Amino acid sequence: MSAVVAVGRRVLIALLTIVLASLFVFLAVQALPGDVARQLLGQDATPEAVAALRETLGLDRDVWSRYADWLLGAVRGDFGVSLVSGAPVGPDLLTAFGNSLLIAVPAVLVGITVALLLGVVAGVRRGRTADTAISMTALVLMSVPEFMMATVLVLLFAIVFPVLPAVVLRGPEATPVELLPSVVLPAVVLTLAMAAYVVRSMRSSTIDVMSREFVVTAELKGLTPLQVVRRHALPSALLPVLDVVALNVAWLLGGVVVVENVFNYPGMGKLMIESVHNRDLPMIEAIAVVSAAVYVLCNLAADMTALALDPRLRTRRRTRSRRSA
Amino acid sequence: MTTTPDGRSSLRGALGGALGGALRGSPTLVVGLALVTLHVLLALTAPWTTGHDPVVTDSGDVLSGPTAAHWLGTDQYGRDILSRVLHGGRYALAVTGLATTVAVAAGTVIGCFTAYADNWLDEVVMRVMDALLSIPTVLALLVVVTVLDPDLWVVVLAITVVYTPAVTRVVRGAARAVITQDYVTAARARGERAPSIVFREILPNVLDVVLVELAMRASWVVLLVATLSFLGFGANPPTPDWGLMVEENRTALTVVPLGTIAPVVALATLVVGLNLSADGLSKRLGVDRAQQGAAA
Amino acid sequence: MPRIAEPLSRRTVLAGALGAAGLGLLSLSGCAPARQEPTIPQAAATGAARPGGMLRVARPAASAAETLDPASSLSAYEYLGALYNRLVKLDERGGTVPDLATEWSSNADVTQWTFRLRGDVRFHDGGDFTARDAIASIAHILDPATASPQAGVLGEVIDAAAMTAPDPHTLRFRLSKPNAEFPSLLAAYQCYIVPADAIGDPRRAGIGTGPFRLSSFHPAGTGSVEAVDDHFAGRPILDGIDFFSVQDASARVNALLAGQIDLISQTNLDFATARVVSASPRATVARSENAQWYTIPMLATSPEFSDVRVRRAMKLAYDPRRVVETALNGTGSAGWDNPVPPNMAAFLDEPREHDPDKARSLLRQAGAEGLSTKIYTSSYDAVFTPLAVAYRDAVADAGVRLTVQNASSDSYYTQVWMQEPLMVSYWFTGRPIDQLLGQIFRSGSSYNESAWSSPAFDAVLDDARAETNDARRRMLYQDAQRLIVEDGADMTPMFGDRLVGISRDVVNYAEYGFEFDYLSIGFRK
Repeated sequence: MSAVVAVGRRVLIALLTIVLASLFVFLAVQALPGDVARQLLGQDATPEAVAALRETLGLDRDVWSRYADWLLGAVRGDFGVSLVSGAPVGPDLLTAFGNSLLIAVPAVLVGITVALLLGVVAGVRRGRTADTAISMTALVLMSVPEFMMATVLVLLFAIVFPVLPAVVLRGPEATPVELLPSVVLPAVVLTLAMAAYVVRSMRSSTIDVMSREFVVTAELKGLTPLQVVRRHALPSALLPVLDVVALNVAWLLGGVVVVENVFNYPGMGKLMIESVHNRDLPMIEAIAVVSAAVYVLCNLAADMTALALDPRLRTRRRTRSRRSA
Repeated sequence: MTTTPDGRSSLRGALGGALGGALRGSPTLVVGLALVTLHVLLALTAPWTTGHDPVVTDSGDVLSGPTAAHWLGTDQYGRDILSRVLHGGRYALAVTGLATTVAVAAGTVIGCFTAYADNWLDEVVMRVMDALLSIPTVLALLVVVTVLDPDLWVVVLAITVVYTPAVTRVVRGAARAVITQDYVTAARARGERAPSIVFREILPNVLDVVLVELAMRASWVVLLVATLSFLGFGANPPTPDWGLMVEENRTALTVVPLGTIAPVVALATLVVGLNLSADGLSKRLGVDRAQQGAAA
Repeated sequence: MPRIAEPLSRRTVLAGALGAAGLGLLSLSGCAPARQEPTIPQAAATGAARPGGMLRVARPAASAAETLDPASSLSAYEYLGALYNRLVKLDERGGTVPDLATEWSSNADVTQWTFRLRGDVRFHDGGDFTARDAIASIAHILDPATASPQAGVLGEVIDAAAMTAPDPHTLRFRLSKPNAEFPSLLAAYQCYIVPADAIGDPRRAGIGTGPFRLSSFHPAGTGSVEAVDDHFAGRPILDGIDFFSVQDASARVNALLAGQIDLISQTNLDFATARVVSASPRATVARSENAQWYTIPMLATSPEFSDVRVRRAMKLAYDPRRVVETALNGTGSAGWDNPVPPNMAAFLDEPREHDPDKARSLLRQAGAEGLSTKIYTSSYDAVFTPLAVAYRDAVADAGVRLTVQNASSDSYYTQVWMQEPLMVSYWFTGRPIDQLLGQIFRSGSSYNESAWSSPAFDAVLDDARAETNDARRRMLYQDAQRLIVEDGADMTPMFGDRLVGISRDVVNYAEYGFEFDYLSIGFRK
């Protein structure tokens, strides 16, 4: 199989994945009890008002023709109009996605760099004090739910020592500059939550690589431990960790519901929860497509990086898994 | 692992051998399983050990702080916090046990069959699984839970939907490696039918992977269940549930600290126990956890 | 209608406070020791305010469809009182008092009402306020296209053609049937007056005659209003108000504790949170008494509760004082199944009997001995489940076996309300007596949550509306209350106080029903 065909196949599969995901979400949302008309009107819903609103929103047509319409629009880049605000979905989603990036990117940059370093240190110093400390911390961090970390950090740094804002007061209309002070605490929570997984993965991968023949040979050749790690062990050890990193990045960029909820942060996770509540189908669909695309892209990127790190690697055993909210 | 002379494992032999062998000489696994067992015991005996009904309110004794009658104090409705934490374990373990078992079982069966089929069916199943995997976990959970109203079985179903595709991928990967083995080819040559080959030849040989999956997934499911409750999509008040307890008491952390800290400690120790079990199992069974994405 | 403000949040409502203590006793540390006696203040701080300042208010996030059109069911509630005025408003006892109208009178058979309007009022865009604007605003409510929640109540007695303006500052209504309480119906929070030519123009939304003019407004987001210097009722103390939307109730409380905001609106703090807030150096708690009206509607059209004897038994069986104690920790008052809050002038002060044995025998007569059914609750409001549990326990004495059934808070008011035979629900208090009885209890009203239909009750209500003598009318409204207590299907176990989180720097906060004093509230000197 030539490289072009292989890449082409992967891209096609990626597109198919996204379309299928959008179909599943579309169908699932149809089954939600209480449609957007009832949900919007709440206790004020008289049958006439609901019927009128349903008709305005086009909810009286059948599912497949609505999905077909949606898909045709989506291909042209038109994700429709929010059933709640009446405004096009695109700009609102873009703002929320941008805001999510604002907390995700620092978390990714800091979190992954530090986590990889700590993972290598723990792996190389296996069984020593440094390893024990790092491993134990990682184990504890991945066992404490994010909402608890967020609660404690808010109490400490916003209420007892009020140096940072406890919540984001400005909504989706906030500019990134206005959001900046509010970014710190959510980003810290995300960094801690994510880093633990990467540290553990990097540690076991390092241990695995360090025991392999070529590393032992390099040590015997008289290279310093640092040289061994940097030139020989690290590239090989990174390979299996790539998937873990890709998954965590996808998770971060896909909107982190808990953290955004606790901090009232106007990102994609908060938008997602509101849209499900309001049965705002076009918005849910668009969020699903963006998240699916991010997921697919992160995995593609991991594959490409793996190829770059190890050209011999043609087909890797890809075994992914996902983590919680 | 017990192996028959031709190098393959039998199902019963593999199960007993894997666990028995793994327990010997793995402190990690011993500690992990001990923590999990402790949780199971506490949860099972909760109705008889706590002396308080977890949902009974007492307006005369609210926010009491630790006393002889209420070791961890009471919450704002006068409910006994210790009793709620211990009963919360019942909910957490029931949902986690059910959801993890169903998801891992479903994923294992689908993974083995689709790997064995290795044709258009495999392709279709894997594309569907890929698509399901690409939908954000929380979105999938919220939709399922909202469609069906949150009760225990719906939460179990939601988590099954979310985790089955991931397990399918992992097991399929492991099964594909097994299928090329001689004994599978031999069974095929003998004319054995697909279900028989899958259950008698393939399944026992991917059991190590499945066991590790089980422990690892369980640790995430515990967190996921708590998260769902915290967001208001899981257990309904006044059900004693750890996530719900944190949600109910977190703003009052300074007034009723144990209302938040006790459920978090319970939750964290269970997750640590499951994680250590997964670590220990994978080390003893030689399952490469980094490659499995185990730490993700 | 209750404000449907917090679809996702569980923490909206109180658990209740025990003792009370003055402001001075409050611990100034951020962390109150766990055994400290509860110190939740009884009332908001009053005193001299310094002129100026921006009040920061956190409100529950509404949907992106929210609007500044006061007639709409999706109106942004907190802005309305700041931006607009009504013709009349309500006092604390439910009486009708002047706002834009200075005086009003009717003909002898109360079928025609004439309102004298203020002549010195301007809209924020400079236009004069006249009777034409009032007519257009009320016609807008009556317009079916608006789907206003108040359309039903007003539409019963007037249509758009019934309003005339003999001169620019006189407004006349010709009613289709007599109604001596008609002015009070114009006090609803949908009846704010907007300029006639601004209706239906989204760019001019927010223009009113209120003490504040709109600076900015983002649906479900932030917004700001600034003081009007030459307002007819005097300049407000504040320079302006910033509104922020915060979905999560705990996040609103954290914002208050961190000093990011000064007031949490439409949020009933639970007991533990109220303790934390009142122990904080920056914030404290104020109360809005009896603000939450809790109900247990029995669906009168259901097989379970179509028999009046069963309904009577369901009431006789429980002691509401016990329910208040358990579900609210005493921070409220017992309802005795009378929907009229005790502070209203028309309140009938005749507690019904509590007699489980009689309830049992009524059930036996009705062939429903040992009645066993479900009572629905949800996390929509934090008091719902404690209330359902308390009621279940209370009626057990009469042999009624209830199972508490949780439903999703998300669809509680679309799937359970007015559909299941027995459930718990709530409204905000603050309706004038005629609207309260007519809207929630009259046969066929769209908010009649128990689907109760009583010709006798409807007739008493009609008699009351036609009665011009105030004392006799009040007696008729009290007869109507008796009928609800005796035969009605919507039980009122209790009224709950709302515990409001507020900054220690704020003075003269006053809120009752749907009335909020935007003029006096300010910051401590």
